[in-house]
Amino acid sequence: MNHRPFDDWLLADQPLTPQQKQELQAHLQNCPQCAALAEVNLALTSARAVPPQAGFADRFQMRLAARKRAMRTRNLWGFLILAVSVVSILAWLAWPVLKVVLRSPVDLLASWLSSLVSLWASLQAVGHVSAVLLRVAPGFIPASVWAAILLAAGGASLLWAFSLVKLTKNPQGV
Amino acid sequence: MTDVPAWIIQAQHGDDEAFTNLVEAFQTPVYNLCYRMLGEAAAAEDAAQETFLKVYQNLGRYDRERSFPTWLLSIAAHHCIDKLRRRRFTSISIDKDEEGQTELPDRSAPDPETETERKQEKDRLHCLLQSLDPTDRAAVVMRYWNDCSEEEIARTLHLTVPAVKSRLHRARRALASLWQAEAARNGPRRRPYESPAF
Repeated sequence: MNHRPFDDWLLADQPLTPQQKQELQAHLQNCPQCAALAEVNLALTSARAVPPQAGFADRFQMRLAARKRAMRTRNLWGFLILAVSVVSILAWLAWPVLKVVLRSPVDLLASWLSSLVSLWASLQAVGHVSAVLLRVAPGFIPASVWAAILLAAGGASLLWAFSLVKLTKNPQGV
Repeated sequence: MTDVPAWIIQAQHGDDEAFTNLVEAFQTPVYNLCYRMLGEAAAAEDAAQETFLKVYQNLGRYDRERSFPTWLLSIAAHHCIDKLRRRRFTSISIDKDEEGQTELPDRSAPDPETETERKQEKDRLHCLLQSLDPTDRAAVVMRYWNDCSEEEIARTLHLTVPAVKSRLHRARRALASLWQAEAARNGPRRRPYESPAF
């Protein structure tokens, strides 16, 4: 059986003229295939939406609260696992030092104190040598060298002040 | 519904009460889409709730230039399509009736017999829908239950408009052929298009 143009009319969702309606009705009487399409069209266009059971929004709020709690718990566990991992890695990296500390803490403390005393003594010796040099050196340096040093220092100061003024007036990168 | 844009802005700023108003406003279209897609009340309830949770989590990314219902239905449709693909949906029994969730006949209607017939047809349609491809099913549900235009369906399902048209035609032909096969099994009965309302 030729279904054209009837199935096109049925699928197009366009309003039909009275003449087309009449022709379609006549065709549907003899064509079970197009009749089924017409019935499906009718069932679809008269379909109603099914609402959820009462209290949907309340159930959503409960689910949201449970999801937030689960998220907080998961975040807490995540933080704990991260913290334990970081501490474990640090402990693994510091194990050579920790091993010594744990084996003989008194020896380690004594060696640290000894190092501190040595450092203090070295600094004092450097201080003494510097003081002697400052006392003796001016006598060996000629006046012309002193003048050159002072001039160079003055020039550098002027250059620095000039740069500072220039940069303040014309800021860079703006 | 006129308050929806204001609720969206408030919900985007963390107002849970405004989001609850959005849930109440859109629960039926979202639930209905999930119910028609998944075929079962419990699965539909779960999918609709999950849809709103996804919307809640992604509301900050929602572009207010877009239609909110279309965005919402898009999330629901994709959630259901994913669910159907995951569980390799097998067609549910045509005789299965969802307690308390099917459209009950309106006893106050002038002709209870006609109303019962109409209800049976809707149940039949609901069962036949389950035989469609998930994307075709989503297109049919959005077109006929949610009154979405072909352009909106195309945007929602990431298809072109001609593809939506073609899917809708194919789906209706498939439904008609199943409808016809089932009618042949159940014997002759009065055809609804013969009524003056057609």
